[in-house]
This record gives sequence, structure tokens and C-alpha cells, in this order.
Amino acid sequence: MNDPVPTVKFLGLTFNVANDLSVLITCLIVFVVVFALSRHIAMKPKGGQNVLEWLVEFTNGIVKGSIKGNDASHFGLYAFTLFLFIFVANQIGLFIHIQVGEYTYVKSPTADPVVTLTLSLMTIALAHYAGIAKNGAKAYFKGYLAPFTLFLPLNIFEQFTNFLTLGLRLFGNIFAGEMLLTLISGLTSSDNWISYIYSFPVELAWQGFSVFIGSVQAFVFVTLTSVYISQQLSPEE
Amino acid sequence: MLSHLIIGASGLYLGDMLFIAISFLVLMALIALVAWNPITKMMGERANKIANDIDTAEKSRQEASDLADQRREALSHSRSEASDIVADAKQSGEKQRATIVADAQNEATQYKQNARKDIEQERQDALKNVQSDVADISVQIASKIIKKQLDPEGQQALINSYIEGLGKHES
Repeated sequence: MNDPVPTVKFLGLTFNVANDLSVLITCLIVFVVVFALSRHIAMKPKGGQNVLEWLVEFTNGIVKGSIKGNDASHFGLYAFTLFLFIFVANQIGLFIHIQVGEYTYVKSPTADPVVTLTLSLMTIALAHYAGIAKNGAKAYFKGYLAPFTLFLPLNIFEQFTNFLTLGLRLFGNIFAGEMLLTLISGLTSSDNWISYIYSFPVELAWQGFSVFIGSVQAFVFVTLTSVYISQQLSPEE
Repeated sequence: MLSHLIIGASGLYLGDMLFIAISFLVLMALIALVAWNPITKMMGERANKIANDIDTAEKSRQEASDLADQRREALSHSRSEASDIVADAKQSGEKQRATIVADAQNEATQYKQNARKDIEQERQDALKNVQSDVADISVQIASKIIKKQLDPEGQQALINSYIEGLGKHES
């Protein structure tokens, strides 16, 4: 787990190849799945369209759970993409872990805080943008003084902690899951075949649990995203 | 694994963050293009269609029940009409029967009267004939008797008895 990170410098920016490759693969998987499911869209749904519509209904349900009224329809696509991306990102590390030499190239992208914090930064930025776009800049900045002026540092701090906890919760869950998977697979050794027998069911159980955790964390992330957005949309509540 | 975070805590992650954010946005745009827009459009259309179908079903149900009501009304109407027709027919039949019977009775009495009159007439005729015959015969008898014996008393009695008999016959 303390692998050195393969990095590439380009245009003066440093890129972590492991993160970027994993994100790219996640995006590719999500896109291919959605693309395959959305091929024959008809009034009378069947097959893939049913699955896709169920997913859409599910994420729309999460969004409508906290954002009231007409505003919910603006965030459906974001919630849908976010849910699928995080869900796939959480799961791919469970069965793909490509390591070349001492460099890890492919793993769960959400097991890296940079990825999760980027996602949470996007969410917080979207929430604040939506708040300003809906209520105007004046009302937005007034929101920081609610319920009275003394709350200003507290409110700023709250936004910052929202951003941190949202990203770090996801990172912590997935990172811990991957770490434990690595530990369990480390129990096996090639010169002791019995180790495969007892580590197999443990690995199996933990992978099953990780699938569950990954799904729940994707759900939690999207739920909190819509909660933060709704807080910015209607700050007085 | 976390060592790289500590090493590069000075703006190292801008590239990563940009890459992640941009790839996420591109993914979102592609999903919007490929799946989200058609799916939401279709779902909206379906919702509209279902609403329309429900409305249309309600309307046609209403129409059907209206038609059924009309039919029921027409049926009861025609039933009463039929009973009216039957009653009319019965009545007119009754009337016709009555007139026929009355006519027949009239005719019968007419015939009877005519017959009686005819009989009377014939009787009268017969009586007249008989009277004239009797007169003739009596003349013949008288002449015969006269040829035999012609005494005035006998003749007188004979004629008287004849005339008396005739009077009796006539009454």
C-alpha cells in the first residue's frame, strides 16, 4: 500500500498516473454500460431501458428527497452520473489491481483522497453556484450571517467541513476496504498452499462486504450532495 | 500509499484534480447525450401518454355508459310503445267485433222482418187466391147444386154458410 506513485509531468502540472488511469477506466466502464443500456429507447421499455430507467428513478428519488419543487430536475443528471461513477469506482478496486514493478497503475480511484476531494469540491462548488444562481449574490452572502453576524466564521467553517467530510468519508471507506483486501491477499504465500484455503473465504467475505460498503457510500455521497445543494437553494430552512 | 500526499502538499494535485474533474464532466456530457436526454424525454412522453390514456379511458367509459343509458331508455320506450300498440289493436279489434256483431244482428232482424213480411204477403196472396178459387168453386158447386135442386131456402142457407166461412178465414 505504500507504493510509490507513478507520476508524469505535463505542461508544468504533475499527473498521478494511477489515479488518472483508474478514473479513465471508471469513466469508460460507466459510459459503455450506459451506452449499451440506452440503445433501444422506446415508449414501451424493455431490457436495458428498464434497468436504466430504474437507475434514473433511483437517483432522481435521492435528489427529490432533499431538493423540493422544480429545482430537482436540474440536478438529476449530476446525481445520476455521480452515483454511477462512484459506484463503479468503488467496485473496480475489488477485482482489478494492476501493479507493474512497484508502481500500482489501476485500483479504486476513490481509494485516493485526491479523487474523492475533487468530487466533493465539485459538489460544493455546484451547490454554491446553484445557491447564487437561484437566490442572487446578496441573499447568498447574507446566508453566511444567519442567524446573526457572529455566526460568520462558523458558517464558513461549516462549508469547509462539509467539503472535507464528504470527500474523506468516501475515501476512508474505500481505502480501508482496499487495504484490508491487500492484507488478506498478503496472507497467502506461494510456498504454503494451505494459506490459500483459509484466506479464500475471508477474502470472499470481505469482498462481499466491500461491495455493500461501496454501494452504500455511493448512495451516501449522492444523498449528501443533494442535501448540500438544497441547503444552498433554500438557506433559511 | 499516502506518502505521496505528504511529499507533494504544494499544488501537486492540480493536474490530477483537473484531470478528474474534466473527465467527470466529459462523462456527464456523454451520458447526457447518449442516455439522459433521450431517457428523460421518453419518460416525460410516457407520463403524458399515460395521463392522456387515462383521460381517454375515462371519456370512453362515460360515453359507453351514456350509450347504455340511451339504449335502456329506448328499450323501455319501445316496450311501452309495444304495449300501447297491443292495447290499441285490442281496442280496435273489440270495436270491430262489436260493430260486426251489431251489423249481423241488424241484418238478421232485417232478414227476419223481410221474411215475416214476405210470409205475410204470401199468405195474403194465397188467401186472395183461395178466396177467388173458393168463389169460383162455390159458383161451380152452386151451379151443380142448382142443376140438381133449386129451392130458394136451400140456396139461401148455402150462400150464407159460405160467406160466414169466408169471413172466418179472412180474420
